[in-house]
Amino acid sequence: MGIQIVMDRSGDTRHEFDTADSRSVALAEKRFRELTGKGFRAVALAKDGGPGRLIGKFDPQVEQTLFIPQLQGG
Amino acid sequence: MERVVQILRALLRRALGENGREPPALVDVAIESAAQPRLWVEFSNGYRTSAPLLPEDCFSFCERHSAWDLASLRRALLSEARFAYTRMLQDQSDMRERRRRAWVTEQMRRLGHGLAQSLRPRRDALRFAGFGGGRTFLDEGRSEAHERGMRLLKENLSPAQLQQYHKYGYFEVIGGRSGKRYRIRHGRSMNIDQLDKNGRRICGWCFFPEGSLVTGDVMLAQKTALELFELEALKIANKMW
Repeated sequence: MGIQIVMDRSGDTRHEFDTADSRSVALAEKRFRELTGKGFRAVALAKDGGPGRLIGKFDPQVEQTLFIPQLQGG
Repeated sequence: MERVVQILRALLRRALGENGREPPALVDVAIESAAQPRLWVEFSNGYRTSAPLLPEDCFSFCERHSAWDLASLRRALLSEARFAYTRMLQDQSDMRERRRRAWVTEQMRRLGHGLAQSLRPRRDALRFAGFGGGRTFLDEGRSEAHERGMRLLKENLSPAQLQQYHKYGYFEVIGGRSGKRYRIRHGRSMNIDQLDKNGRRICGWCFFPEGSLVTGDVMLAQKTALELFELEALKIANKMW
């Protein structure tokens, strides 16, 4: 089971997908492309609160992917 | 004070009371000679007012002004009325000015109070052990979104960062590219300090994700950015000294 966590105004929205279900994976991949296309950065979260890993391509094996909106200077 | 002057002033006060905000100019004073004489006061807007006047009301005034006929008495009363009316107008103006000042002071006090209220930490703000159980730290509504954001942040802090955050309200991050130390304080903007090797602040950085995100999300995005794409983040960020 994989989870895509998208940061938004409600805190975050979580989308789970079944790695054994090709349709579910395809949907997750589509979401990944859409979000990264909009400027979100995808980060594979590390379990221990470590730095994680920036991912540019959908990987169904990543357990938790965090999507961070584009940054802006304040 | 002579009785006639008291009557005159009462008439002037009545005129001021009747014509409130735009007091008319005093035009004339007249004595109506009849079985029951009356003292009249006339104003520029046509307003006239009068009061009964007895001869004994005028004796001492006539003596003081050596006014022994109606014409000279009228002149003396007009002069007295002008003097008194000018004083009354001045007093009224001063009173209005005082009221205006009091109003402004009150509004500023309320504004200051409102501002202080809006900046004051709320009860449902984050609680950090270091500040005591009952004390709150920083302003944040306890919305579901906020709680979700804080949970996500805490789930993705290392044990050391989490401990630091609970204790001090900030946590430190090592820049993934430069190895520099950063301190991310609880907040959504202007909350990143770059530290030297002794932990002293060198400068501040300000960047955050688009979309009015909750505090937890913003802090996690800042941490992730500094750890994973530090240089790009700092290129976007504003530097503060």
